[in-house]
Amino acid sequence: MVLAWIISVRIGPLHTSYMDIFHVLLKKAFLWLNWDTPLKVGEAKEYVIWNFRFPRAFMSILVGAALAASGCVFQAVFKNPLADPYVIGVSSGAALGAAIAIILGLNIAFLGVSSIASTAFIGALVTILVVYRLASAEGRISVTSLLLAGVIVSIFLSAVLSILMVFSGWELHVLIFWLMGGFSHVRWPYITTATPIIISCLICILLLARNLNLLLLSEEEAQYLGVDIFKMVKIFLVLGSFITAVAVSCSGCIGFVGLVVPHIMRILLGPDHRILLPSSILAGASLLTFCDVVARIACPPIELPVGVITALIGAPFFLYLLHRKREVYTF
Amino acid sequence: MVKIIIKNVECYYNSIKALDSITFEVDEGDFVGIVGPNGSGKTTLLRCLSGILKPKVGYVLIDGEDVSILSRREMAKRVGVVPQESYIGFNFKVLDVVLMGRHPHIRRFESKRDLEIAFRAMEAVKVQHLADRFITNVSGGERRRIIIARALAQEPEILLLDEPTVHLDINHQIEIMELLRKLCDKQGLTVIAVLHDFNLAARYCDSLVMMNRGRIVAIGPCEKVLTSQNIEETFGVKMIVNRHPVTGFLYLVPLLRGDGNENKPTKKLKVHLICGGGSGGYLMRELVGEGFRLTVGVLNVIDSDYETAKALGVSVVCEAPFSPITDENHQENLKMIMAADIVLVADMPFGYMNLKNLEAALEAQKAGKRIVIVADQPSRIRDYTGGKAKAILERLKEQGAIIAKNEKEAIKIVKSLEK
Repeated sequence: MVLAWIISVRIGPLHTSYMDIFHVLLKKAFLWLNWDTPLKVGEAKEYVIWNFRFPRAFMSILVGAALAASGCVFQAVFKNPLADPYVIGVSSGAALGAAIAIILGLNIAFLGVSSIASTAFIGALVTILVVYRLASAEGRISVTSLLLAGVIVSIFLSAVLSILMVFSGWELHVLIFWLMGGFSHVRWPYITTATPIIISCLICILLLARNLNLLLLSEEEAQYLGVDIFKMVKIFLVLGSFITAVAVSCSGCIGFVGLVVPHIMRILLGPDHRILLPSSILAGASLLTFCDVVARIACPPIELPVGVITALIGAPFFLYLLHRKREVYTF
Repeated sequence: MVKIIIKNVECYYNSIKALDSITFEVDEGDFVGIVGPNGSGKTTLLRCLSGILKPKVGYVLIDGEDVSILSRREMAKRVGVVPQESYIGFNFKVLDVVLMGRHPHIRRFESKRDLEIAFRAMEAVKVQHLADRFITNVSGGERRRIIIARALAQEPEILLLDEPTVHLDINHQIEIMELLRKLCDKQGLTVIAVLHDFNLAARYCDSLVMMNRGRIVAIGPCEKVLTSQNIEETFGVKMIVNRHPVTGFLYLVPLLRGDGNENKPTKKLKVHLICGGGSGGYLMRELVGEGFRLTVGVLNVIDSDYETAKALGVSVVCEAPFSPITDENHQENLKMIMAADIVLVADMPFGYMNLKNLEAALEAQKAGKRIVIVADQPSRIRDYTGGKAKAILERLKEQGAIIAKNEKEAIKIVKSLEK
């Protein structure tokens, strides 16, 4: 099932336009990848596909995978079904960072990534550090205070963001569009920067997946079964918030994927994270890529924000599953 | 061989001292029970032994290694813990829960051997039929046994259990205790369990640790720890401690209702009870419980009523076993009777050895004391004196003794006489 998704999704973003040439171009694209030949100047279509469509498809896969994985991790670490990648304030930190860049017109491009993305990433990281600082005492992180600190810091940052928005002029539109999330601005440098970070974090999380099962028990029991819970919680929080920060700064705040994909997979496949986590990653990647396709073709020439589509498609599907599952769904 | 050494351990929760100068050793293969009232530090001690609570002073050694240095994984290979409460929110399958016990031993996915160990653990606590059920769909007792299976699947050398028999039916309580005993004896497992049930503790443990307010108040073999004095000092409850005539193990029963203070005499009326052969037990308990001042006599020392009277702290005139009442004791008894306001005659068998007690009742009547006789029908009177006892009882009745249909009514009558 998941494989089918991936295949269809990979085709999807290219398929949308240039129906006829798409096959040829796909081959060419892979040829380039393999042989590393310099870009042939020529067909405009080729250029568009290589420089716009491809990074876009890659990025939606990366971001979808990252958000679903960190949602899954956070739900387990916080033992809270409402947890999503943004619970500890990553999104609002990133948003504020982006807003500052947009409004002040900063230009601090970093590794070829736009200044908006760079400042968003910095904002996200600073927020995470502040929240961790607030929630830790004696070298241990209390999960409850982390949750609370995250929510409160988020609210505070949102307030600051609102003030900035009040005083902003034409930048407001840019900012709002960024906040809703999307992939239209994604180019290759984004991919080359984000891919190694996200992929390596995901591998770490997957290798530690079995610990997540034990984290679902009480703290005490997890320790009795040989989990160094304080270390594990720290590792998972760092990995989860880091990939979220990367994802958010690349694509803005795309909601819903991180919250609902883990739940959908849990209903379908059960709570064992060794299965749940990889399947959530695949499903998140598939869903987001698919939604991005829909966002672009739904009402041309306007591109809808992809976050809207994820909610529009994801919510009914989730409710359908929840309803179909006769047994009570216990978290 | 010494397995665990706990030396001079002090533990704190924030600034509150939870454990104070705890020192003891546990041998390999021993079954040690920890008893003590709520909040005495039993669970804290277990947390300390399992290494998740680090002592501020002192140390815990397992096989000579300091617990606070070992990693969680290393600890989990050696020590299995069954906590008081277990939280499993997600709907994991029971088998998966038991397999979590293999966590410290495996890297990623379980092997066939891990499955075998899990199933053996489930068989040991008889939950193998639940393997495919969801953990959220089993009863509290089953869940508890599943958690014990999970701890066994860790293949530990030491098992720590916090009230393992709570929520279990009596048959499962005994099954679990038998299992733990067997694991100690056959596999050399060292078991330390917090127990609430003194009788189970006395039946299965090699030694006991009694705790109060974070300190050890008694330690050693069961009979040395479970004395009525220790229990009263620690729990504030009077218990009768005896060896059970059938099982030969200690058995403990709480004495009376309440905490013992309620049994101080509060009523003015003094009652003397004539009983024997177990006929006075209920009457004594009720009268003492109601706050009457009570005397009993004459009783043979081996009589169960004598034991009851002793345990209740009632003054008794006693006679040597199997001996008829001597004049000396008879006089003593009469003295007591004369000091009483009411004489209560229980529904008891009469023989030549205790006939004197009835004669004493007759004299009491002459002296104007109220007599209450428990005997629903004259035909039921157990008279082994060829009619002499019956005759005396008849005379008592004719001269105005009150007849109570049963023991309950007798207590009611005594109560009404108080007014």
